[in-house]
Amino acid sequence: MKINYKLQDRFDLAVFIPMLLLICFGLLAIYSSTLNLPNARGDFYKQIVFVIVSAVLFLAAYSLPHQTIKMIVIPFYSMSLFFLVAVLAIGKTIYGAKSWFGIGGFGFQPSELAKAGTILMLAYWLTYKNRDINNMKDLTVALGIGFIPIFLILLEPDMGTAIVFALITLVMVFWSGISLFGIFVVLSPGFVIFSSVFGTIPLIGSLLLVIAALFFFKRDLFNSVTVFVINLSSGFFFDFVFKILKPHQQKRIESFLDPLADPLGSGYNALQAKVAIGSGGLYGKGFLHGNQTQLRFIPKQWTDFIYSVIGEEFGFLGSVTVVILFAIIFIRLLNIASLAKDKFSVLIVVGVLTLLFSHFALNIGMDLGITPVIGLPLPFLSYGGSSLMVNMLLMGLVLNIYRNRKLHT
Amino acid sequence: MNDNIFGSLARKRILSFIIIGFVALTIAQLFNMQIVNAPTYAERSDDNSVKPIYETAPRGILFDRNNEVLVGNKPSFTLRITPSEYKDTLTPYIETILGVDSGYVRRILKANATYSKYIPRRIAKDVDFKVIAWYEENASKLPGVDYVMETQRDYSFGVMGAHMFGYAREIPMSILQKRKNEYSMGDEIGFAGLEKTYEDILRGKKGIHYVLVDSRQKTIGRYKSGEEDFSAVKGYDLILSIDKPAQKAAEEAFKERRGAVVAIEPATGEIIAFTSSPQYDLADFAKVTSYENYRLLRDNPDKPMLNRATTGYYSPGSTFKMISAIAGLEEGLIDETSRTSCSGGFQFGDRFFKCLHVHGSIDVETSIEKSCNTFYYSLVNKLGLETWSKYAKKFGFGRKSGLDLGEEGGGTVPSTQYYNNRYGKRGWTKGFVISLGIGQGELSVTPLQIAQYAALFANYGKSAKPHFLKAYVDSKTKQRTDVKPQYYDIGISRHSFEIVRHAMWRVVNGAGTAGNIRNPELDISGKTGTAQNTNGKDHAIFVGFAPYDNPKIAIAVIVENAGFGSVAAAPIARDVIAAYLRKSLPNQPLTIAEDH
Repeated sequence: MKINYKLQDRFDLAVFIPMLLLICFGLLAIYSSTLNLPNARGDFYKQIVFVIVSAVLFLAAYSLPHQTIKMIVIPFYSMSLFFLVAVLAIGKTIYGAKSWFGIGGFGFQPSELAKAGTILMLAYWLTYKNRDINNMKDLTVALGIGFIPIFLILLEPDMGTAIVFALITLVMVFWSGISLFGIFVVLSPGFVIFSSVFGTIPLIGSLLLVIAALFFFKRDLFNSVTVFVINLSSGFFFDFVFKILKPHQQKRIESFLDPLADPLGSGYNALQAKVAIGSGGLYGKGFLHGNQTQLRFIPKQWTDFIYSVIGEEFGFLGSVTVVILFAIIFIRLLNIASLAKDKFSVLIVVGVLTLLFSHFALNIGMDLGITPVIGLPLPFLSYGGSSLMVNMLLMGLVLNIYRNRKLHT
Repeated sequence: MNDNIFGSLARKRILSFIIIGFVALTIAQLFNMQIVNAPTYAERSDDNSVKPIYETAPRGILFDRNNEVLVGNKPSFTLRITPSEYKDTLTPYIETILGVDSGYVRRILKANATYSKYIPRRIAKDVDFKVIAWYEENASKLPGVDYVMETQRDYSFGVMGAHMFGYAREIPMSILQKRKNEYSMGDEIGFAGLEKTYEDILRGKKGIHYVLVDSRQKTIGRYKSGEEDFSAVKGYDLILSIDKPAQKAAEEAFKERRGAVVAIEPATGEIIAFTSSPQYDLADFAKVTSYENYRLLRDNPDKPMLNRATTGYYSPGSTFKMISAIAGLEEGLIDETSRTSCSGGFQFGDRFFKCLHVHGSIDVETSIEKSCNTFYYSLVNKLGLETWSKYAKKFGFGRKSGLDLGEEGGGTVPSTQYYNNRYGKRGWTKGFVISLGIGQGELSVTPLQIAQYAALFANYGKSAKPHFLKAYVDSKTKQRTDVKPQYYDIGISRHSFEIVRHAMWRVVNGAGTAGNIRNPELDISGKTGTAQNTNGKDHAIFVGFAPYDNPKIAIAVIVENAGFGSVAAAPIARDVIAAYLRKSLPNQPLTIAEDH
């Protein structure tokens, strides 16, 4: 084994530099949006501390010997699940969700940790000896690994994070080489749920389509019945989920459909974020000169609506720069996934890519009014220690994989 | 890894497609929002954070014809409450310091409850400085309470003029809804009198100062350092035709009396003095008027709210004899030498119409000088109703003059049609007409109409539509625009006027009924009258003009329930004329002259 000792060969600057720039953009935006808020003024300095701690975690993950990674997977995942259960018992309720541990002046979000745990666990399980993703049993276990944290997170309840977990699970299963039938098995419950939103007749219709598809695939009776039962229960499961949604979350779904219908309700923030971004124009209003931002029209802007600060103060140029920086990271991660020889490593990279991309898409999509209003942080930019630390840790891991890309298992 | 359906390359392509597709969508949407629709969003963003603060414009000042201030402006303190921050527990303190009844604050807040709770409400205008001092001391304990300096009408210039000036008040909901584009909540609007007529030029233009507010409406600073602000522009000043000394004389004379005075410059129709009594203090209306205050005025049996000068109907009495005289002369039924015999009355069918004296053989001039009834019973009988009515209407009776003051009555001049409508074709007799000759019967006139009537005699039938506004002055450019009088000529020969005018001169300066106001310096001509009053003592009337040659002022005075015109009404006319002509009067004892 020969290792090229040039820096670019050991350390992918095409991922690292955009990430660093995004963190800097985030710090500027946090500084700007908390400038006039005495109570939140300290968040900027806290974030600097988070960046430093995250950098340490990043370097640690980067330097970890490749073989060690596999050894920590099961304890890491178990610990994640433990914290997710614990937070339901002793967590702090913030914005209607019991998703935080309070530790001194800081908060810790176990669902962030669970993202890393779940990615690692899925990668581990899916690449374990002779695993066949098209085997019903193996697929069910893989989905189970993803859906246990989803279930726990829905109990908090935190809809946005649950969606991210679902996407991570689906994409990782997809990357493992699932068959058309497998895709059908995984996606058909989603189709049934979607249909059930529109009432009983579409629900029955969708179930009939599932039966028709099952005949088309001509699988054995056991498999077919199982799939049908999964679909049937999904329809009812959604009802259960919708009921456990808090009124403010139900409103958020409604407000996505028409944010103008309720300008001071839950659509208000999304509308104000759009106004902030749109009013930024080509060059933006200038750092610290955005009136939407400085006059506090968007509550808690430095967390989920951080992108609107960039949009307003740095304009089209700044907004596109951020999008391009993310795009570079995504494409680069996809390339690393293709470069790595070790399947376990590949799935980790794909999991991290899905995590970052789904946050990116749902967060910026919300600001731009192209996805529903779901409270998710924008990776590297939004204020918040747990999210930044876990993201940096995972990036460290990805660069570790890049460093060891030529290794085989 | 199982690659049975999707090869590794295919998977990568699908994910790349999703990523690049979404990134492209994002950039397209950013382009759409920040480049294509940026102006729309920018406007919405400004709407959010930029709040206009309005500055009330001072209303134009009312000057008299010699540029003396009649109604001015003064700075005053207005106490306000902003409901969003206000606490109801403060109400008792505020009511106590203002000295108002309990429930006052709640009533005002309730009346405006439908407006945004962030808009301050005026609670009391023109509040005492001690209230402001109290507020300043306790401001920290009074959230949602503040005060502003505003300009307010100042009525301390020695004239009352309630009915003529009128007042402005906070715009009521009903009017605001109709004029949303011009007014907003809390604006003042001219509500009566000249303030109402000339609202459009008096009101000025509100100033706007833009401030930045945060999402809680708290002011953060000025918007664009004030470059888009503009200051309030004061309304146009009005130069009225009123003569302040004459007006004061008229108001002084009516302090303890009921009635009206209207004085007009004969050649131009300009109102020199105008009063209706009793009246009310406009200063009370400049505050936030309490309903109680208004109710007292409305229910007062003397009707102080009634503008007697333009809407009070009176019987003209003997002052109407000149119409019959003019009609007789114009129609050729009489000339200056024609004589009628007065034996104390006039027999018409089985009715006898009385004269107060036996005047013997009498000509037209003497008939006016001595106010002989018989002469006019006989004359109007010859004239007939229609001819008489035609002449009465020529002098402006029976219709509104078009004075630039909203409320005005037209009065009644009977005609054949009028009687037919009223009594049926056979229900009235020619006897009805006989009384009209001496200004009695179903005849009603306003003081304004008889003042204009006097003006027409003074100026030989040529005058202009009566009006108050002489000119207005742009507050910014100081440019003065004069109002052109609307002249007219009633088309009656100078010869007829010369006869009647001379007779009117003799009323005061000969052996006539108003000898008590004879004064060579003033050289007044006129005619007394007694208006029949079915509800009590007769009203005293005097119409006249002065000086005889080249008259400067025509006047009508009505004093309610004062009996003979010469006693109560004529001296008032004399005083107003003297004040207008700037002549001081010797202290004359009043002599009671015969009247009719």
